[in-house]
Amino acid sequence: MKNQIRQIFHSPKFTVGFIIFAALLVLTIFYPLIVTNDPLEMVGQGNFFKPGTYISVSEAVNTNPYTLNINASSSRLEQNLSMEERMAMADWLNQFAGLSSKEMDVTDAGGLVSLWKDHYDSASEQKGLIAARKKYFSRLDKKITGLLEDRDVLLAEKNQETGEVSVKKTIPSTSYVNVKDVGSRRVFILGTDNFGRDVLTELVAAIKTSLKIGFIAGLIATTIGLSLGLIAGYLGGIIDDFILFITNLFTVIPSFILLILISYSIGKNARGVIMVAFIIGLTSWTWTTRSVRSQVISLRNRDHVNLSKLSGHSLFRIILTDILPYIASYVVMALILQISSGILAEAQLSMIGLGPATTTVSTLGLMMNWAMSYSAHLNGDWWAYFPVIISIALISFSLNLMNTGLDQIFNPQLRE
Amino acid sequence: MGYKKYYTNKIIWYLITLVIAVVLNFILPRLMPGDPVSAIAARAVDGMTDSTAIQAVYEDYAEKFGVNLPMSTQFLIFIKNALRGDFGVSFSQYPRTVGNIIASSVWWTVCLQLPAILLGWILGNVLGAVSAYKKGIFDKGVLPVFLFMSNVPAFGMATVLLYVFSLKLGLAPSSGGYGFDLIPSASITFFRSVLAHYQLPFWSVVLITVGGQAIGMRSMSIYELNADYVKYSRFMGIKDRKIVGYVFRNAMLPQITGLAMSIGTMIGGALVAEIIFSYPGLGTTLLAAVKGRDYPLISACTLIITIMVLLANLFVELIYGVIDPRIKAAQQD
Amino acid sequence: MRKRLNKWTALVTVGAMTMTLLSGCQKAAPTDGTGQTSKAEETTQTAAQTTTAEEKKDSADAGSTPRNETLYFNGQQWGTINDWNPLSSNSNNAMAITQQDNARVIVYETLFMYNMLDGKLYGLLGKDYSWNDGQTELTITLNPDAKWSDQTPVTAQDVAYTFDCHKKYATAQGSDYSNYIDSVVAKDDHTVIFKAKLDDKGLPVNPLKVVEYVPKIYVMQKAYLQKVEQRNGNDADKIKQDRMDDFVASGPYKSYYNDDQKVVFVRDDNYWGKALWGKLPAPKYITHVIYENNAAGDTAFKSGEVDVSQQFITNVQKLWEEDGLPISTYIDEAPYGVCATMPTAFFNVEKPGLDRKEVRKAIAMAVDYDQIIASAMSNQSPSFKDVPRSIMNPTSGEQALVNQDALKDYQFTGNDVEGAKALLDKAGIVDKDGDGIREIDGKNLNFKAECPDGWTDWNASLEIVAAAGSKIGIGIETYFPDANTFYDDMTTRKFDICMWNPPAASVANPWGRAMAFMSTDYAGLKVNWTGNYGGYINEDANNLLKKIPLETNKDTLKEYYTELSRIYLDEVPSFSLMYRPMLFHAVNESVWTGFPQLDDGDNIPPTDCTDGYGIAALYNLVNVK
Repeated sequence: MKNQIRQIFHSPKFTVGFIIFAALLVLTIFYPLIVTNDPLEMVGQGNFFKPGTYISVSEAVNTNPYTLNINASSSRLEQNLSMEERMAMADWLNQFAGLSSKEMDVTDAGGLVSLWKDHYDSASEQKGLIAARKKYFSRLDKKITGLLEDRDVLLAEKNQETGEVSVKKTIPSTSYVNVKDVGSRRVFILGTDNFGRDVLTELVAAIKTSLKIGFIAGLIATTIGLSLGLIAGYLGGIIDDFILFITNLFTVIPSFILLILISYSIGKNARGVIMVAFIIGLTSWTWTTRSVRSQVISLRNRDHVNLSKLSGHSLFRIILTDILPYIASYVVMALILQISSGILAEAQLSMIGLGPATTTVSTLGLMMNWAMSYSAHLNGDWWAYFPVIISIALISFSLNLMNTGLDQIFNPQLRE
Repeated sequence: MGYKKYYTNKIIWYLITLVIAVVLNFILPRLMPGDPVSAIAARAVDGMTDSTAIQAVYEDYAEKFGVNLPMSTQFLIFIKNALRGDFGVSFSQYPRTVGNIIASSVWWTVCLQLPAILLGWILGNVLGAVSAYKKGIFDKGVLPVFLFMSNVPAFGMATVLLYVFSLKLGLAPSSGGYGFDLIPSASITFFRSVLAHYQLPFWSVVLITVGGQAIGMRSMSIYELNADYVKYSRFMGIKDRKIVGYVFRNAMLPQITGLAMSIGTMIGGALVAEIIFSYPGLGTTLLAAVKGRDYPLISACTLIITIMVLLANLFVELIYGVIDPRIKAAQQD
Repeated sequence: MRKRLNKWTALVTVGAMTMTLLSGCQKAAPTDGTGQTSKAEETTQTAAQTTTAEEKKDSADAGSTPRNETLYFNGQQWGTINDWNPLSSNSNNAMAITQQDNARVIVYETLFMYNMLDGKLYGLLGKDYSWNDGQTELTITLNPDAKWSDQTPVTAQDVAYTFDCHKKYATAQGSDYSNYIDSVVAKDDHTVIFKAKLDDKGLPVNPLKVVEYVPKIYVMQKAYLQKVEQRNGNDADKIKQDRMDDFVASGPYKSYYNDDQKVVFVRDDNYWGKALWGKLPAPKYITHVIYENNAAGDTAFKSGEVDVSQQFITNVQKLWEEDGLPISTYIDEAPYGVCATMPTAFFNVEKPGLDRKEVRKAIAMAVDYDQIIASAMSNQSPSFKDVPRSIMNPTSGEQALVNQDALKDYQFTGNDVEGAKALLDKAGIVDKDGDGIREIDGKNLNFKAECPDGWTDWNASLEIVAAAGSKIGIGIETYFPDANTFYDDMTTRKFDICMWNPPAASVANPWGRAMAFMSTDYAGLKVNWTGNYGGYINEDANNLLKKIPLETNKDTLKEYYTELSRIYLDEVPSFSLMYRPMLFHAVNESVWTGFPQLDDGDNIPPTDCTDGYGIAALYNLVNVK
């Protein structure tokens, strides 16, 4: 036994898989201890904030500034007006103000802007332009106006009694603040989702829940599969046919019908996490049964089994001591695969809206579901769904690697 | 000739399974809480303000759908009609007949799933066999990549493919069964459009299937390659190629079961691809039917799935008896 | 060898199985069915080829409609068309048959078109309308130019016969309106009189509902209706289910092609409306591709395959601000569109706990509406600070009927956790056993908030409501059953809190909406599809509701509505979660331009170019050069 365990860890595939899986487990255990925020707290007001560090603007303004002599005087226009925008301005001036391209120099932002200010009129007909384009120029004009305004930003203060507004502080454009000095900050390593929740924190909580579902579902499926497979394989005959018949029945009925049926029959309660795990377990044991059964069939006629039969050992004992140990390795692998497919099944069910209906926990599938509903994948908000896909793939992959590794241990022929 | 006993035994059990499955597939949806009449009545009474009128509409529908008859009567009517090929009228797409709904989408599903499953199976097995036999780059490089891909959930693969190939690179269309500006006709343009729209859903299914098949085939192949008869044949001087032929034929047996199962369940299978790529097919029809308590449609779809799965299974078991005499013999003690 | 044999046998078996399934290939199928095995090889060779570019260039092909002559839509049609029959209730034919307050008039037409921007009715098949004194008869003169697609004129007899059919065959609309309209009589070929149903005092039961019929219900040709009746043996059910593939209508577009994937309409160049509008609508074809879900529709919209989109697009402004796409909405900044309705959360006032108005008001006060509008609606709604609460929607027409100043003390803008807690504490509703949830009579206040599964912005809103509940010590859990179960719960009062739309913009509003909030009649329904799902009863409110339809003085009406709003905000039988457009309207100007914009002075409502007066937009479209 000890020897086997040592061998297990010598296998590279198993070790790699085990490390990945253990890392994920450790992450789910320790991360919430460090970052104590509620994973379901809707922090951001709005959807899909980009990953990054968010600091409080009002505090930044009141923090000690440092003066850095960087490019302060040369034009903000140069820096803030992209070449694309300048070309657009030149086009407009050409088309509607009758200016020829010789009169305009797109490399000179200042000159271009003063021409623009002279000739642009948002209310003019601008024939031939689609509405979206007209609005683009209107926005561009507003941006330029903003850029042209006084360089310095003024901080005003309202007197409590008189209601008078007076200038408290001037913030020159050379004023910089060390981000570390600003106390109120929030780091979103993976941005926020459509509710404004911190994706990373939510992801960790979701992995934990999904693992839980996977374990429960896998255990249930393996237990049922193992027992039925053993009985069917060993006893044969009519019992075997009957169990095969039950197996076929379960294959044929689509699991989502069973899911809706069972969850709604239990009562008006929302579909809980455990409930979903149960149902996944109850509907995915079929292939385990089949495989165990075929293994047992081939074992059935071995010599040691026949010996035990002749010795008059009880059925139960034969199964437990003569057959089970030989398929133990197989069962362990089956368990791992069931866990992996349980997690995938939960993700799939949640994606089509049949997953846990509670809003007090988050699962990987639910996160995917919300991200897809809000078209995160189409808007380029990759942080809302890509880490989820990677997590599911990693969990599945690590479990499968462990499985392959174990396979190699138990079947020395497969070792390299 | 124990064949006869073996076969008749199998066939009898399958018939029993079929009957029970049909009954269950009929009863279970109707046990789900929720009233199918509600959704349709909701559409009908939208904007109405008079309560008696609304009540009348509601009762009208309840009567039309026959949901107030006892279960056994409904079942007999269903069976009687099904034998004639009439699956009734759909609730959610009333008054369209179920036969019409299924006929228009089943071809898309079958044409997507069947080649995809077959190709994935073939490629996967070839990859697995080659990795086992040749080892080297296949075993260390290509196989693990496909293994990782097979662990990516189906919707993940579909989303990534959609994002990369359609949105970013613009190499493939993003949705639909054929071009948005085309009208179905027997023209080359239309056919090419169908083919183009077929790519992403097809590959999303194939890529995931390959990995799973490969790893299974690889294990089986390694077993076989180390079997006694292989070594013996080698010593006897039989050519490698011939041995390999025998090896892979033996290794393939368990894989056939997998293939049959996949084909059996394929009808309900391409759900993810259909949702992400907006591809026509039976998967979304069935899902919508379940959510909408559209009993006739559910029953018809599950009936088809049942028949296909059972047929596939039966076929495999029968063939197994022919291909591998050990199984049949084992069955008979 | 065995490998091939097995593969072959599997194929043959499956082929045999699938053959038995079939009872008729659709048009789309034949080109697919040929050569499944050869396709497997073909596809491995043709991996990811650029065929899309070539398809788009197809023009004047028998198998496609030219891009620059076709206007593409999304977000209206989900699933296949059932019929072309305005008498049926299951047409599922959104583009052709949508008989609502802003009726879709591209195929069938109504007498008048409603414009939600100014609340007026514009003539289409009808020219003028006027009430007599006492509001017992509504006289409508018809447009003398109006013709059917078979060139026969539209007459008053058609209008009268249409109503008679609705009534005779007990269609959904007929059953409803026959409670308010006694009969429709053709005075002569061009004049119709709608006779209101009178109560025992000789007063009309509800003149508002009579006028509501006018922009809402299509006029059908009498000769065609008689043909349909004849071929169905005058059987009501058969007539209502008749597919009417050979229908006769008066609108500018006819049916061209439809299947599971798309619906195509073609312009009738003999359309009578040339006299009314001065020209024909610009697009020759109108097509709606049937997408599986929102995401697919959005992708198509962004890539320019769809011109007019009725789908809710999260952060739609990013499309033109960041991605630089030629996409725009009616207004260039938040709220991006015209909001005409308010999804509302109804309290079941019969539940212990929710029968206390303090509990209801506390929950309503604590909800963070700004968060809802920012995340669930991505700012496509004015906030409750911009348009303070009342029973009115934000359109100027309705806002003019309520006195905002008088309601200031009752209005709340949300996220007022302290205020809510204080309210509950003052009412003596506290948490005695320390579990974080307040009790009444020893029972914890735990409620379920539900809405149909899959309606993402609503799901998101209810999550935010649940979060608010936990902040003030009331347990609220969200529950998203499928649509059927939800309707069951909502219509038979099996819910705690449910979310639904009250009526939007219509000639009969805001009365219709006020009814949906507070009508005692609705509260008494056994199966309630109309409104006031929570069963709230208030005598004063009910009396006002009865008086309004008969009142024509604007100032008196304003008083009534203000008082109704006051009762509503004080008692909180339900509370609105956000404002929302009746129809989302976003356009992609890669092929067509000239869509309605806020400041263009055209007074065309942004109703996707097809509904009510919004159809005027079709006549202004031009191709982008």
